[in-house]
Amino acid sequence: MGIISLEKADNLYWLGRYSERVFTTLKVFYEYYDKMLDEDADAYKVFCRQLGLPDVYHTTERFTQDYLYDKSNPDSVCTSINRAYDNAIVLREEIGTTALGYIQMALDTMKESKAYTERYMQHQKVMDHLYAFWGCVDDEVEDEENRNIMKTGRYVERLDLSLRLDLDYPHLDKAYRKLSNRVRRLRRPYNDARLYRLGQIMARKENWKEEAGEALLCVNGLFEVDV
Amino acid sequence: MERLKEHTRGINELLARYGVKFGIYKNGTFHEQLFPFDPIPRIIPKNEWDILEKGLIQRVDALNAFLRDIYGERKIVKDGVVPEDFIFASSGYLPPCQGILPPGGIYSHISGIDLVEGKDGEWYVLEDNLRIPSGVSYPLIARDLTRRASSETFRVNHVVDNRQYPRLLREVMDYANVGGISVILTPGRYNSAYFEHSFLAERTGCVLAMNQDLFVENNRVYYRDMEGNRQKVGAIYRRLSDEYLDPMTFLPESLIGVPGLMSAYRAGNVAILNAPGNGVADDKGIYYFVPRMVRYYLDQEPILKNAPTYLPFYEEDRKYVLDNLEKLVVKDVAEAGDYGVIFGNKLTREELANMRHIIETESRRFIAQEVIDFRDLPILDTDGVTEVERKADLRAFVLSGERTVAWPSGLTRFSRNPDSFIVNSSQGGGFKDTWVLSR
Repeated sequence: MGIISLEKADNLYWLGRYSERVFTTLKVFYEYYDKMLDEDADAYKVFCRQLGLPDVYHTTERFTQDYLYDKSNPDSVCTSINRAYDNAIVLREEIGTTALGYIQMALDTMKESKAYTERYMQHQKVMDHLYAFWGCVDDEVEDEENRNIMKTGRYVERLDLSLRLDLDYPHLDKAYRKLSNRVRRLRRPYNDARLYRLGQIMARKENWKEEAGEALLCVNGLFEVDV
Repeated sequence: MERLKEHTRGINELLARYGVKFGIYKNGTFHEQLFPFDPIPRIIPKNEWDILEKGLIQRVDALNAFLRDIYGERKIVKDGVVPEDFIFASSGYLPPCQGILPPGGIYSHISGIDLVEGKDGEWYVLEDNLRIPSGVSYPLIARDLTRRASSETFRVNHVVDNRQYPRLLREVMDYANVGGISVILTPGRYNSAYFEHSFLAERTGCVLAMNQDLFVENNRVYYRDMEGNRQKVGAIYRRLSDEYLDPMTFLPESLIGVPGLMSAYRAGNVAILNAPGNGVADDKGIYYFVPRMVRYYLDQEPILKNAPTYLPFYEEDRKYVLDNLEKLVVKDVAEAGDYGVIFGNKLTREELANMRHIIETESRRFIAQEVIDFRDLPILDTDGVTEVERKADLRAFVLSGERTVAWPSGLTRFSRNPDSFIVNSSQGGGFKDTWVLSR
């Protein structure tokens, strides 16, 4: 087992969260982008409301630009990929140069994509780099606890976004199961009562929405442990 | 070689992908910059390396003996070989290190010796770096990537494999280790050499630590892991300067040091690589005396030459310097790196007169050297096709543990500017691989 500090463990967790945030929000962004083109120009407002983001964009054009690239906006995809990089760069000795390289490429591709008029193909590359990153983590990060911490971060983020975006139940259930399996393998303490409660809510299947607020609290409070 | 040139762009892209960068501050803001790689290597034939290797080992052994002596009996001073003015006035001499014998008796575990090859084919040592010499990671990762680009090139040219550096470094750390884990202590991600710190931690399997991860209790150093357990630390490869190491001994305002570290070190409970206080041996003024150290401690003739150097402290040398100032380069011994370096041929008549006056009144403060006509090396120009010649130096790395070993490679840095002798990465220079041939 490798030896890591609490700070590095946090970096692993947040690398998992931010890389997943980039991946999922880019994917969902294009679903809404489609809607904005064909059905409802204001569809982005729903997207913002669901994710709890302030509507600082006011127009579709501003949203499509700033949500992706505004560095001063803490919710932008660009900020998320930078945060993923900030966490990854201090983890070279834990995750390895090869895995770190994929985060670097995702960051560089995201930055370069701004110069393109047709950006989707570039954003697809960003997502491909993130896929490769996770494959590389599976293959090259030897320490199981380190992998578990990163993947817990990843699945916390995925379930959090899935709950907020009101994704369909099978998708949500899959995200919950992945998170639950991963958390139970951790050696670090977690809030078992919240995980249990989350399980109860998910067991209600389509009725989970009645307790969506509590589900979110459980997901984000998984590591609030009473001492 | 042609195969490597074809891959220049690809190799540089891979270097960017793997984050091979150095950090610099511009207008108070931190920037990460790529270190451009040139595919045409510096080639050192076997017969030349055999001499360099012996010379490097001899020089580092003498420097280690000097450090042991200065922080011990000071016989070299008592015997009048090195004047005490040059020891105790040096900012690198640290009184708190007096009397401390590091584990294994080694002070400089990782030494970076800067050399240039003159047009006469002779190698000259320009500087010894015995504190925290950096740069080894660049040729190390570049070799990995160039071998991927064209492995055949290395076989056909009989290039000695240099990828054993992490193993050699780990052996040195294990040798110095007094019991416990080995850590690399970094000031953090905003240090200019952070890439190297993290890369060496990855390749050696050591724990990369920041000061907040370490604490001292009962004169022992511990690493606190994520579960709150303490792990005893037996060796610290520190990548921060002496003055910041321990606020209780050195700069009290240091926020990146480990309080109490020097007490643990003094008690023999942890090894620090390189040992604190090594600055007294790589001081610009002490450089003059290194050939004498070789004779004094090893009873051998120095294999490697210093650049011809004069010490105005001695009357004969002072007279020569004053008479020939316009063709010499003068260095202020208190300044580090390229700071305080003055080329006589760049001074006006008035400035020369002023400089002569300063040298006469503050003779201990300066050394003067003949300007060496470096052998230029070919590099690919910015068009990626044309070959041009530029100034380049070589930082050779020598590791000292159970035995002293010269790494068969090195960091070759070059200047992009045709009129410049300055090869620093922060001044726009690049680097190349250094090939040592096996036959």
